[in-house]
Amino acid sequence: MTTSPQDGALLTVEKVHTYYGSIEALKGITIEVHEGEIVTLIGANGAGKSTMLRSINGLNHPRRGSIVFRGKDITREPPHDVVRLGISQSPEGRKLFPRMSVLENLEMGAFQRRDRSELRSDLERVYALFPRLSERKQQRAGTLSGGEQQMVAIGRALMAHPKLLLLDEPSMGLAPIFVERVFETIVEINQQGTTILLVEQNAMMALDVASRGYVLETGTVALADDAKALLRNEQVRKTYLGETD
Amino acid sequence: MKERLRQLSRLELLDPLFGGWRRLPHGLRSAVPAVVVIALAIAYPYYVSSLPTDVPVILAFPDVGASVTIVVFVIMAVGLNIVVGYAGLLDLGYVAFYAIGAYTAGWLASGQFEQVRFHFGSVGISSDQSGIHISVWLVLLCAALLTAVGGILIGLPTLRLRGDYLAIVTLGFGEIIPQFVRNADSIKGFDLTHGTFGISPIDSPGFGERLNRSLGLPVNYQSSFDRERLFFWTALGLLLLAVFVSFRLRDSRLGRAWIAIREDETAAGAMGIPLMRTKTWAYAIGAFFGGMAGAYIASFNSGAFPSQFQFNISVFLLCMVILGGMGSLWGVVIGGTILAWLNVEGLANIGSWVNAHTPLNVEVAKYQFGIYGIIIVLMMLFRPVGLIPERRRKRELEEGTPHGALDDPLYDHRTANEREETR
Repeated sequence: MTTSPQDGALLTVEKVHTYYGSIEALKGITIEVHEGEIVTLIGANGAGKSTMLRSINGLNHPRRGSIVFRGKDITREPPHDVVRLGISQSPEGRKLFPRMSVLENLEMGAFQRRDRSELRSDLERVYALFPRLSERKQQRAGTLSGGEQQMVAIGRALMAHPKLLLLDEPSMGLAPIFVERVFETIVEINQQGTTILLVEQNAMMALDVASRGYVLETGTVALADDAKALLRNEQVRKTYLGETD
Repeated sequence: MKERLRQLSRLELLDPLFGGWRRLPHGLRSAVPAVVVIALAIAYPYYVSSLPTDVPVILAFPDVGASVTIVVFVIMAVGLNIVVGYAGLLDLGYVAFYAIGAYTAGWLASGQFEQVRFHFGSVGISSDQSGIHISVWLVLLCAALLTAVGGILIGLPTLRLRGDYLAIVTLGFGEIIPQFVRNADSIKGFDLTHGTFGISPIDSPGFGERLNRSLGLPVNYQSSFDRERLFFWTALGLLLLAVFVSFRLRDSRLGRAWIAIREDETAAGAMGIPLMRTKTWAYAIGAFFGGMAGAYIASFNSGAFPSQFQFNISVFLLCMVILGGMGSLWGVVIGGTILAWLNVEGLANIGSWVNAHTPLNVEVAKYQFGIYGIIIVLMMLFRPVGLIPERRRKRELEEGTPHGALDDPLYDHRTANEREETR
């Protein structure tokens, strides 16, 4: 297992094999995320996109391979330590705490933090990104609309003040108008200095905002390139962007 | 209840009554019911004898002795509420904690280990008696701590499981502990629990001669004329402690983490809440109060017997929590009081009233678990969140179905065109 930090890489995932029971979901995947980037993982259902995120944040440890974050091997770290080190996640399907208020949900995102003084400014940052949440901070999260729930999920992940933000299908199930808003916000968060690893089914939108992309196919990396190049790639256009000849 | 009062106060007729009430600051207003209830409870031994003994249906109010048992059961319900109500972990073996507490009292405050003679702060025990005799106050603490350790040991292997699996394993532990104490009377010749006979007598709390002279505190509860009253007031004190700790925990960082786990365990984990540690704390603190209550009632009954620790106690305690409202402290205290009273004497009273006033001739107390079952079924049908629901659950009930889920489905499978058409 190599733990040497690679030049400039914030996160290095090397030859990772992750299993669900006896099913090998990731078959030796290698990816890299550099500081300041938006990197996207695209691919069909079951390609291993979400598993990749679960491997990184410690919810599902890889059996082989290594994950290095800021020079530290986090392959076997439990989720709460991964969060503390600076990786937080907006999980697939949002996974809010439905009976807690919006504010309480956001506070849960900051659970691992001890620097109470900076919490205030992070909360204000989230409210600035999503003014809707500020209006609804006392409302129960379960009663919000799908788009608002997605805002809470992203805001909650930001409350951990991550260096690397993992977003799992943030556009899933949203009305088109919300989808656009979500992607605008992703760019905004990135411009504020947070590196983002984005998993998406909406390959077109994802590649549009990303700097680089990986195409996953049944647990392996099929293609890795600049996002713009992937957008032009014929195979990608056919398979993931729904283009016909 | 405050809601209710506020609604009432909208009636103009009642305004002179509630107008002043409304002007009280909020903090004071919410403390008033608590203070009234606590005062009524403390004064109970003074007015119980003047209460009528021919009340319809329930006949009489419990005497002080029965009330001690009731209060101790409520303490256990409050402890179980931390595990089930706050952290959402279904525990069907809470009786194990009760047993560990009771037997710790048996070991540390009785003549059980006759090979040794160790006295420390005990009252009413002549110094030549064999066995370990530690002050019961200290024993309560030791029992609580030891049971908390027991909770951690039981929790570590089991809390990795979720939902039904956890319930089944806790059920197993709830059976193992009583079986163990029933059979641990000869571990390679060493008598740990005195088998089916149990450990008896167990020492009684007290403050000793010195504190009696200087502060007028009772020397020894057992030999006091006010034995039952003293046990009752002390039990109330322990209950207040349990309630206070629960209140503080609920609003703490740990309490918030429990509720997050209850709401969505996966999301809680992804937020950086250490799941095992947080759940184990719920177990340990829940066990702490179970052990304390067990040791206290062992001292009150002056004995710990394996037949006390049946599976039905676990179910009974769970009923208290469900009846009152999971996670709601006030609810659990009230639900616990009602069920514990029914168990101690209420059902027998109701039975004799029924037999006296109807041609029926049934032994109502015999059907106690059927009756508890019916209570739970009725609760689930008509008031699933309990008598006094927890704030969060209550809001959900009032607000009904989340509107967002309806007009903006989580998974919208329609195409953009279809959506346009429906607009």
